[in-house]
Amino acid sequence: MSRLIRSRFQSWINRRIPRSDVQVLTQRNLFILPTAAGVMFGLLLLIMLLTGINYQNSLIYLVTFLLGAVFVGAMHQTHRNLSGLEFTLVQAGEGFAGDNIVFRLRAAAGKDDAIAFTLSVDDLSVPVGHVPAGQSVDVALPVPSAFRGYLQPDRIRIETRFPFGLLKAWSWMRPVSAAVVFPRPIVAPDVVSAVEDGEQTSNSRSPEGNDHAELRPWREGDMSQRIMWKRFARSGQMVVADWEADKGNPHWLDFNAFAGTDHELRLSYLSWLVIERGKSGARFGLNLPGQVIEPESSTTHTTRCLRALAVWGEEKPRDAFAAPHGTRHYTTIKKSAGAARGVHS
Amino acid sequence: MSVWGVSRSEPETQSDSLPSRALLWLIVSFVVLLTPQVDRLPLWLILVCTALAGWRWLAQQGRVRLPGRWLRTGIMLILVAVYLITVQGSFTVDTAASFFVLAVGLKWLETRTVRDFYVLFYILVYLATVNFLFHQEIHWALVNIGAIVLLLIGLQVLNAPDLPGGMKASLCRLGGMLLKVLPVVVLLFVFFPRMDPLWSVPLVSGQASTGISDTMRPGDISNLAQSSERAFRVTFGGAIPENRDRYWRGLILDSLDDGTWRQSGVEPYRSPGRVNVDGGVGELAANEYDVLMEATDQRWAFALEGSEAVSDNLVKESNNLFRFRRPADSSIRYRLALGDTDKPPMQSLEQRQAGRYLQLPAQGNPRARALADELKKSNNDIGVIQSLLGRFREQPYFYTLRPPEMPNDGIDNLLFEEKRGFCAHYAGATTFVLRSAGIPARVVVGYQGGEAGAGGDYLIVRQYDAHAWVEAWVKGRGWVRVDPTAAIAPDRIESGLRDAVADEGSFLENNWTSAQRYGDVAIVQWASLQLDRINYQWQRWVVGYQGQSQLDLMSRLPGGFGMRELGYLTAGIVGAALLIVGLLSALQIRRGAGRDGYSRALAAWHRLCGQVGVPVRQGETPAALAARLAIAEPAVADSARLFARTVNSHYYRPQIEPQSARDNDDDLKRLRRLLVTMKRQLHRSGKLRSAFLHPSPQSGKHSD
Repeated sequence: MSRLIRSRFQSWINRRIPRSDVQVLTQRNLFILPTAAGVMFGLLLLIMLLTGINYQNSLIYLVTFLLGAVFVGAMHQTHRNLSGLEFTLVQAGEGFAGDNIVFRLRAAAGKDDAIAFTLSVDDLSVPVGHVPAGQSVDVALPVPSAFRGYLQPDRIRIETRFPFGLLKAWSWMRPVSAAVVFPRPIVAPDVVSAVEDGEQTSNSRSPEGNDHAELRPWREGDMSQRIMWKRFARSGQMVVADWEADKGNPHWLDFNAFAGTDHELRLSYLSWLVIERGKSGARFGLNLPGQVIEPESSTTHTTRCLRALAVWGEEKPRDAFAAPHGTRHYTTIKKSAGAARGVHS
Repeated sequence: MSVWGVSRSEPETQSDSLPSRALLWLIVSFVVLLTPQVDRLPLWLILVCTALAGWRWLAQQGRVRLPGRWLRTGIMLILVAVYLITVQGSFTVDTAASFFVLAVGLKWLETRTVRDFYVLFYILVYLATVNFLFHQEIHWALVNIGAIVLLLIGLQVLNAPDLPGGMKASLCRLGGMLLKVLPVVVLLFVFFPRMDPLWSVPLVSGQASTGISDTMRPGDISNLAQSSERAFRVTFGGAIPENRDRYWRGLILDSLDDGTWRQSGVEPYRSPGRVNVDGGVGELAANEYDVLMEATDQRWAFALEGSEAVSDNLVKESNNLFRFRRPADSSIRYRLALGDTDKPPMQSLEQRQAGRYLQLPAQGNPRARALADELKKSNNDIGVIQSLLGRFREQPYFYTLRPPEMPNDGIDNLLFEEKRGFCAHYAGATTFVLRSAGIPARVVVGYQGGEAGAGGDYLIVRQYDAHAWVEAWVKGRGWVRVDPTAAIAPDRIESGLRDAVADEGSFLENNWTSAQRYGDVAIVQWASLQLDRINYQWQRWVVGYQGQSQLDLMSRLPGGFGMRELGYLTAGIVGAALLIVGLLSALQIRRGAGRDGYSRALAAWHRLCGQVGVPVRQGETPAALAARLAIAEPAVADSARLFARTVNSHYYRPQIEPQSARDNDDDLKRLRRLLVTMKRQLHRSGKLRSAFLHPSPQSGKHSD
């Protein structure tokens, strides 16, 4: 039952607050309710009123009314603290799945100062101290990610309890732009690329097979022949020589090389490989079903590959209620645009 | 779900450190709230509370640690035990209030989280409320309200610790808010229906408060004479009577036993409860007077001789005394009228009554009895009284606040040996002599005199005006007042105690802090009287604004307001206040920075387009809309294009060349003119009539 109500409420919220990278907080999308402290305060006022009545004490009446009026005034102030505040998504960040992806937002205060509000997604919140009227402040909001792909925070909650914490006003921002979450790198097993690369196949391997050796720490499953025992005798470190020769084609990271493995896992392997190659500055290309990135070696190339891995097979998220095209030119008339939106959807 | 102002994401550990400044405000407020209680609370409690708050502050500074759970429980148990021992099982509002203070003090040791902070806030607000039960003077009211303001600042600091501008800014913000809500507060105060108490909780403290008591031992009243506390204040409808006529009768002591005068009749027990504290409303008639009496915890009211009750919160009993229905545990206002003085006097005293007023101990004070016999031989009743007063006048009797000890046969001692005494001594002795002479007599205790308040519009009667005198039954004349003090020290009756003991210098000799002590310093006297006047008005009109005053005020308003109407009115005020707040914020947002003239004009244009069947499409530029409008309505084609161009040139103007404000205004004017033109043109073409049938532009469905 409560789940039904909650989902109804959420869809109502989603209708009311369309996805947009720019969100101006107005009465339409601001909500205000007393906090539990506020409810207790109400109870206290009731007790005070009872005391006043029972002892026929005018001054207790007076103080009760004063505090009651302060409560109403606080309602006004709390609401005004957020209203007119404009949030712009400056940049949706990038990162690996499982990490917190940083969204950069700009909060611009309207006619009034905005004081002590927090931005939060799920359990992470960022307090913002003070945005003077007419000025703006940049906020970095970490958003937890679980999976690779596009990360579009469902709702960024903007909340304030200023001035007394007796009331909370809040709203949500539902950005359109999505962050790109790279697959979480997982150390890849040795496989051979199936991509044909004529010039490299035959002579990349030296007869001894160890001139392109890459040293890495031992891990479970490595064959004992590969351990550099000499080195172990010298330094006590179990080091394994990873001959490039064994990895198949050095220039191509191939999705199809991990036959039989889950797609997501393959992407994680590839992600690890891309990072490793990127670090070593090697030339490499990426072969994904439906997408091939030619070998190259640069940081932009690495990022490009990671992005490709991140969004492979993913649809760019679109919201049915996305802000109409062109509104960014005069975002200020969203209200009238909103009226039109109801007609067009 | 954490609900106490910490967002869920903040772990409990983080809220461990409350902002120091917020805590400081709370501590300061606590100290301020303790000040009104200082005279009431036991000293140890005040010290303990200060120490506990100080401990919390040191802990905040990191110099000491807050006690762990066991130590805290131990401290709590010990203090509660000490408290229980000191109150010895008496449970009154007074002791309950002390316990509450102790609880607040203990809470300081347990202020770790934001939640605790709020709990502390609530109980401190309630402490202010409790303070109002005991002190209602304007300065204490200001102290309490000031403390509440400090608490609110503390909350503000808690919620926005790094607010720029510091204390001044938060004060300004809070002050602005208070000013804005003040009208609502005043309206609510005036119109909120003052209901009868839902259940009665006596405020009677059980402690003897300053004031006259119902027994009189020689010396009692001279203690009172050292107190300059107010007993009551009086406003007269007509002229204020002369000082010598201002005998405020309170109670009658008619039974002498072992040197102590008592009331003989047993006062019927009445369950403690509330009395109307604001008896008597409306204009004072010329013969009426209005008394605002401080709390006495007793039922007696003070009245001039020959008064009649006007307000219904007191009743006239036999002996022409006035009693409240219940003890006055808070200040109380009542109204009396001076009746006809030449009313036919009571013709005879009942036998039983006569016996009561002739009662004397079987033995003791032989010389006084002898004196009575001697006086009686040569005189009738009146003659006895007159010759006794003559004796007082002629022989060297002294009126003094420093009477000597007269343990055995005190009356003989006073009359024949020492000849020095206070009004209580002389009243007791006179009654004794008259009774010995067979004249029914009784001691009357009350106040005499009173000092004019600032401006001379009212009278302040203080505890040092307490007085005792005698009433004797004279056949054919009824009870007549006999005041031996008037014979011995006429000053006391003519102008008050200060002058009467001026030579002795004993006026308020133990009361260094009293402003009345420095009555000869003009500025002190003036300031004290002005303060009293403010307080008097405050008590009459604000503190004393209760059920009857409210109904009286309301009855003067047109429409005859009753309790129910008041209820409606209050609901209306609250509703209206909320509405105004809503409207204000709506207006502010509508006129907010986000919506300038351009967007308003554009929105109006979009509405207009919608009305003529060309609603704006999603993401359509003004130029595109203008083009479509031109096709649909060729009449407005030019205006529409111009409108779109102007809008575009405003929104897409290169930022490098800033537009002057004047240009901006001109453009806006042009836009508005164009809008009007378009409307006119559309009207002419008859297209806009449908607008009245479909007032909402959204209702016109549009299909792409």
